[in-house]
Amino acid sequence: MQEGNPIINGTIFKQTLRANVKLWLIFTIVLTLLQIVMVAVFDDSTLADVSHLVEGTALAGLLGQTTLLSMLASTYYSIHGVIFPIIYIIMTANSLIASQVDRGSMAYLLSTPTKRSTIIVTQAFYLIVALVVMFCIETTAGFITIQVIHSDMDIVVADFIMLNVGLFLLMFAISSISFFFSSYCNLSKNSLAFGAGIPIAFFLFQLLSSVDDSLNVFSYFTINALFDTTAILEGENYWWKLIVLLGLGIVLYIASLEVFKRKDLPL
Amino acid sequence: MTIISLQHVTKDYGHGRGIFDISFNVEKATVYGFLGPNGAGKTTAIRHIMGFSKPQQGIVTVNGLNSWTNASTIQEKLGYLPGEVALPEHLTGEQFIRMMMDLRKVNDDTHCKKLIDFFELDASGRIKRMSLGMKRKLAIVTAFMHDPNVLVLDEPTSGLDPIMQQRFINFVREEKKRGKTILLSSHIFTEVDATCDEISIIKDGHVISSFNKLELLKMTEKVFHVKVKNALDYKQLGQLIESNTDFHLVNKNESAFELQIGCYPNNLSRLIKLLAAIPILSFNEVPFSLEKHFMEFYDRRVGGELP
Ligand SMILES: Nc1ncnc2c1ncn2[C@@H]1O[C@H](COP(=O)(O)OP(=O)(O)OP(=O)(O)O)[C@@H](O)[C@H]1O
Ligand SMILES: [Mg+2]
Repeated sequence: MQEGNPIINGTIFKQTLRANVKLWLIFTIVLTLLQIVMVAVFDDSTLADVSHLVEGTALAGLLGQTTLLSMLASTYYSIHGVIFPIIYIIMTANSLIASQVDRGSMAYLLSTPTKRSTIIVTQAFYLIVALVVMFCIETTAGFITIQVIHSDMDIVVADFIMLNVGLFLLMFAISSISFFFSSYCNLSKNSLAFGAGIPIAFFLFQLLSSVDDSLNVFSYFTINALFDTTAILEGENYWWKLIVLLGLGIVLYIASLEVFKRKDLPL
Repeated sequence: MTIISLQHVTKDYGHGRGIFDISFNVEKATVYGFLGPNGAGKTTAIRHIMGFSKPQQGIVTVNGLNSWTNASTIQEKLGYLPGEVALPEHLTGEQFIRMMMDLRKVNDDTHCKKLIDFFELDASGRIKRMSLGMKRKLAIVTAFMHDPNVLVLDEPTSGLDPIMQQRFINFVREEKKRGKTILLSSHIFTEVDATCDEISIIKDGHVISSFNKLELLKMTEKVFHVKVKNALDYKQLGQLIESNTDFHLVNKNESAFELQIGCYPNNLSRLIKLLAAIPILSFNEVPFSLEKHFMEFYDRRVGGELP
């Protein structure tokens, strides 16, 4: 339309950053420390001792393949590294849209010549950038820790990077779910019920499915299964799963925009 | 010229709540008052003017532009004061003002400074710690900072102290003189009385009465307070008034020799002629109060007519 009406509004972005940077910092620090600790405590000499003991038994095949990355895959990349970003996403996504509509402070933004689409795009941009930077820091910290502490080990860097890319894409998809409900609902409590309930249910389903083979059926009901760490480490074809995560995220972010542009705001 | 127009606007929230077939126009450089009890639908109508809600039926325009499809364009020349102040609490007042100036692309802050001084706003502290009145002043300054042509004010003086209320009323009058078009919702009769040209009363989502204040004043009976010297004059005047169908005796106080005479404006000179024949101690008009007029509507069922 007219000049000076960019799709991302610098003023709103600045305010959003100011209001949310503290929470982001806390979660980024926690996530990074967890990554560093999990990498650092890995000690393959203890595993070697154990494998020596079970030599020739059925367990040997299992333990024989335990590497740093497979250990991380079954711990950090399926529990800690998943649930902490999920909590961050839930809190942030709700505060970006739904809580401002619920409290009424959105009225001030909309009483300026700012388009609804600009607000949504700016807030979504913040959430995505916050996640990108969070995972860049976490990945870099993990990589440095590996280089410093496990320089003697033979670690496939590409696999380590792909684990982080996969985790990020999973979080991108999950953030789109929370953001969609934040844009769709007028009440914080509804936005949280769906925007938190669904990601947490996905997380629990994934956890259950990994406990025992008999519960494997749960993996069909969670998008977390699309972040397939085994496939990444074993070199199986995992690309399509990551592309599905990316696609889901993009679709839901676009849906958030369309829904918010059309809905009635009780301001 | 019509600035704000609602034509047959309906928004049904269910259970008989919402607004139903509301129509009115606000003309340029006038102040339009919107009165009605709690839950009548004032804020709902304003929500449609702002483009926050889409009407189920009917059309809302501001400056000829559809409020729903052109919301962001309309805001360039519109100032809005929400009924509930829900400011972003993590900011200080100054940061909030700066943010709103940036969003409105206002570079010159002289007008804003003038408003801050006029309303004695102290914007330095955190919004979270501000008193209700201070928050409202901040919202007022924000609504007027870009010197908009159209103002939509939802209960603007609630939370202000009496001195500030008066100052705000004077301010609204000045803005009207400067050609601003103002829609104002309120519960305070004196405020509406002091500022508005046109008034609509809304109840249960229906406009039950719309009138022009000056025309209403012309139409309504005026009441005069007359005091005479002695019992003889008192009795004579009383008889004269009661025998004449042009006037009517509103009230009398025999011991003080005082009478209150009701008279429509077109019979006024006849009343003066009649009074000229009698020695009178004092003669003054009892000021007309819209309040009495409004109160009837607050109680009356939907569909009430002007008397
Ligand atoms: N988003 C909504 N969903 C359902 N009902 C609503 C909604 N908003 C308002 N209402 C109902 O519509 C009616 C009109 O409300 P509105 O806020 O317009 O009243 P009002 O005239 O501004 O009252 P007040 O003087 O108390 O501010 C009320 O009964 C209210 O409960
Ligand atoms: Mg209201």
